[in-house]
Amino acid sequence: MARYLLLRLGDAIPTLFLVLTLVFVAMRILPGDPALAALGDAALPEQLAEFRERMGLNVPLWQQYFNFLGGVLTLDLGRSLLSNTPVLTLIAQNLPYTIELTMAAMLMGIVAGIPLGVVAATNRNKTPDTGVRLFSLIGYAIPDFFLGALLLITFSLNMGWFPINGAGTDFVSRVHHIFLPALTLAFVKAAFLGRLTRTSLLEVLGKDYVRTARAKGAKENRVIYQHGLRNAMLPVSTGLGLSLLSTLSGSVAVELVFNRPGIGRLLIDAIAERDYAVIQGGVLVFAGFVVLINLLMDLVYVVIDPRVRVK
Amino acid sequence: MTLNRRNFLELTAATTALSAIGVSTAHAQSDDTIRIALAAGGPRHSDPNLTTQGPDNWATEQIYEQLARPDDGRFALAPEEYLPVLATEWSMSDDAKTWTFKLREGVQFHRGYGEMTSDDVVFTYLKAKEVGTGRVIMANVADVVANGPYEVVVTLNAPDVNFLGTTVFSLNTNIVSKKAYEEIGAEAFATDAVGTGPYELVRFDSESGTYLKRFEDYWGEKAKVGNIECLYIADTTARTLALISGQVDMIEAVRAPGWIDSIRQRDPNMQVDMTVPGSFNTLHVNLNRAPFDNLQVRQALMHAIDRAAVSQALAPMGGLLVGLQPDFFPPGLKTEGLPEELRYPYNPERARELLAEAGFPDGVSFDALCSQREDYSSTMLIVQEQLRLAGFNMNLIIGDHTAYHADNRSDKNTLAMHASSYPPIPTQIYIQQLYSKAEVKADGSGGGNYSHYGVTIPGVDDLIEQALSAADYDTYLELCREVELQVLRDLPLIGLSTLSYTIVRNPRIELGYPVESGYARWRLHRATKA
Repeated sequence: MARYLLLRLGDAIPTLFLVLTLVFVAMRILPGDPALAALGDAALPEQLAEFRERMGLNVPLWQQYFNFLGGVLTLDLGRSLLSNTPVLTLIAQNLPYTIELTMAAMLMGIVAGIPLGVVAATNRNKTPDTGVRLFSLIGYAIPDFFLGALLLITFSLNMGWFPINGAGTDFVSRVHHIFLPALTLAFVKAAFLGRLTRTSLLEVLGKDYVRTARAKGAKENRVIYQHGLRNAMLPVSTGLGLSLLSTLSGSVAVELVFNRPGIGRLLIDAIAERDYAVIQGGVLVFAGFVVLINLLMDLVYVVIDPRVRVK
Repeated sequence: MTLNRRNFLELTAATTALSAIGVSTAHAQSDDTIRIALAAGGPRHSDPNLTTQGPDNWATEQIYEQLARPDDGRFALAPEEYLPVLATEWSMSDDAKTWTFKLREGVQFHRGYGEMTSDDVVFTYLKAKEVGTGRVIMANVADVVANGPYEVVVTLNAPDVNFLGTTVFSLNTNIVSKKAYEEIGAEAFATDAVGTGPYELVRFDSESGTYLKRFEDYWGEKAKVGNIECLYIADTTARTLALISGQVDMIEAVRAPGWIDSIRQRDPNMQVDMTVPGSFNTLHVNLNRAPFDNLQVRQALMHAIDRAAVSQALAPMGGLLVGLQPDFFPPGLKTEGLPEELRYPYNPERARELLAEAGFPDGVSFDALCSQREDYSSTMLIVQEQLRLAGFNMNLIIGDHTAYHADNRSDKNTLAMHASSYPPIPTQIYIQQLYSKAEVKADGSGGGNYSHYGVTIPGVDDLIEQALSAADYDTYLELCREVELQVLRDLPLIGLSTLSYTIVRNPRIELGYPVESGYARWRLHRATKA
């Protein structure tokens, strides 16, 4: 197991290195001058030159690249070119909001999606099944940002039930602020997980051991939940990992629509203003999460499926 | 866990209860707080000497004060219109190189940092000269010395009859506490500076905004509303929704045609405050690129652009520019006061004739870069249509705002729109956009003179330098008027329109004064909230 973990970690390092290199190069290719973005278009040449020198933007690109990599290795991601705040501080301020949104959305998606899938599978080709399939279709078809805007206008603006923007301060206010953004992301999750659970459960319910359980007189609930759903969870757990990744990336659009703080909004603002250090730091965090989630999913798979073993 | 009917009902009840708590939270906002939503991602600094982002100045405007400033809601159009603030009186030497300020006694800094004295003023001015964003402005300051605790003498390298406008009433010369700077330290001071204004800083949150409360030991009349929250909502839709829902009281408007009408359609009671003129929208004609190296083509361009129609399309935020200054600014030009040949009335037929005389009977085609930001793109799309009627086929390439400015600074544009806000100090726009020393360079190391004026063809450097060294205000204005006329003859830079900086506010907020002109920020110490 430890060897397997080390192997997977070994795979992660070049992935992260490649992502960082791509981001570094992409930002330098993109037209735009961080000095102008920081000081404004009325800035005089002397002010721009002084800014570039102070921020290390006047040294050759290769030197900037190695400075950046050296910083990553020593956990020093530099400072924002615009506010001079350490990038790690900005990430520490924003990351909890993205994590809480992702977790809340996943929780809502699982709570709604898996029971819906069970209902659909156990009522195959009946009205509940048709309803769940229709819901899944709509869930797949509606983009996050559109659904978010729709919910925002209906429940925040017209009905006044939820705040328009922000993330709240105390616990109750934070739950209140997160409800609609999480619901937006959860809608797609529920659609995906519902569909996946239905398909997986239908397949399992057709297996011989399920027929045997029924023949032995086991109660239908026991057949479905203990024999059926338990075994159907294997593909669903893989789907959960994928779903977590898509929720994380979907949070960018939702943070913008609901004007919530978070890594996504931090990144979008930084890209618009060519704040290289913040972009690089933000992407590093996203890439780190993707690698971590993939790693966790691989490990979970090994644990829950005895057939999967490291050779 | 299984979800049965009972669990589901319990969950629904809990959600409903939570929503009800939330509703009461959303509407139970304190009446003693003004919330303004600004168009940026988050505050960068609260030290006025480091300001690089316009919206941050809304907080600094409440926290800090200069020695002198115009009355609330307007610019000072002449030196005598400045009012005493932290200085009670001042005088200028005959050669306009020495300015003496007598300070107000008993002014207290926030958070118990003691009385403001000449040491703080000297410290503020010298700090602004050495570090920060205003070093170019402060370059003319030779020295600042204290003459006792309540008098400061500023000596200049060159005369400046407009010193109150060019330097004293700038962000960088907002007076800060020397003692606080030394105790807090330079880095923390950037977001935790200490001033003397009617509001003091409570919290600087780089994500959500800047939070202020009334300063109870303020030397003047105390602020009427207890708290101000400068919140940051970059997305225009989210900002608009926040105003309409009542979550905030004031927002920065979107400066695009029709936006004011649309907000008034949603709520006719919304109040709109605008600084006139706001931004000066100018059009740089690149003199290094054919066919614009030809004066007749530039004259054709002037006849092809209906400047009145451009400003009308941006109404009520748009205003007319005849020269480079609005007509009520010193030394603004009025069409009727100009020689016939410099009036350039809108006349597409005349434009076509001029193009033919210049050797382009079939018209001309060229590419022009443009920012996607609403104020740029809407203006340039109008200009594009007007030019088409006169035989100019301008292929607009609309792109990212940051990239647009970088491209302009790298001399990649042919017809570059520029929007900047200026006070009634005419030489500022000349120095930034016409001076040969500010000529744009392909490597990005140049300045904002995108037309290469004064390099490709003779410019107005001499006139600008004479104006800057004038020892009396009337001579200064006369020389600036000469610059305006010469620019209309040479046409390196075209004044397109002005565009007001605009705030929309809920009618329950009364500012306590009308907003007529001024920078893109105003004080809220006289404001009340119903």
